[in-house]
Amino acid sequence: MSTTEPEPAPDVSAFTCVRCGLTVSALDPDGGPRDHCPSCLSSRHVVDRTDEGASRCGGRMAPISVAVPRGGAWLLIHRCTLCDEMSGSAVATDDNHLVLMRIAVRPLADPPFPLDLFGEV
Amino acid sequence: MGRRNTTRGRRPQRRKSVTHVHRESGRSGAFRCAGCGLQVPVDAPGTAHRNHCPHCLTSLHVDGRVPGDRRAGCRGRMAALSLATRPDGEWLLVHRCVRCGELSANRVAGDDNARALVRLAVRPLADGSVPRRALLRL
Repeated sequence: MSTTEPEPAPDVSAFTCVRCGLTVSALDPDGGPRDHCPSCLSSRHVVDRTDEGASRCGGRMAPISVAVPRGGAWLLIHRCTLCDEMSGSAVATDDNHLVLMRIAVRPLADPPFPLDLFGEV
Repeated sequence: MGRRNTTRGRRPQRRKSVTHVHRESGRSGAFRCAGCGLQVPVDAPGTAHRNHCPHCLTSLHVDGRVPGDRRAGCRGRMAALSLATRPDGEWLLVHRCVRCGELSANRVAGDDNARALVRLAVRPLADGSVPRRALLRL
């Protein structure tokens, strides 16, 4: 009887992005499950957070914000374009950094009050 | 704070039946902040749906799916997590419930603490390592 277990077969399933049509593997480079497109960062509303289960909405979830909870890793906030449900997901290493940076600096690019006042405070 | 009044391509807002006047605000028209204890009047400049403290930006988890429905039984404190921007440039404050992890978004009010807002806005860029790595990979 051999002591070496056979390696489990790698997950090769893939999904198609609802926004840009890119075919992406269901696993990110670190082996974790992927829930948004690495190119345009869009996701799909399949999990219902309020009622804990599968969602029947199926709408496109647009990335709206980058949050930094304690620990320093970036968290991408999605909002469903159909029903406004929100979700947070971890940023994968191969996510499009241009899009990520654009979402992160977007509030500062268009502040509701003049930011130069903060130099005097 | 409605500066660029662009309605092009924007989904109309959902109807909200905010019940501040009859529920937790009582007759005085004010609620007490769950974070810092400040007595906050419900009337706010720039918004008819104040749901967070203008000083510490903390909110309370009382709404379910639709803002104003008061369907959530959680009543947890909702801490300000990040800022998002609408297509017309308005800032949205994203809250996360510290008890159940639910997320919600609310437009910033005219009297919200500007220093706390800017601190949230620069938070993704404040810790140097992640944005530097991101910029190097562009």
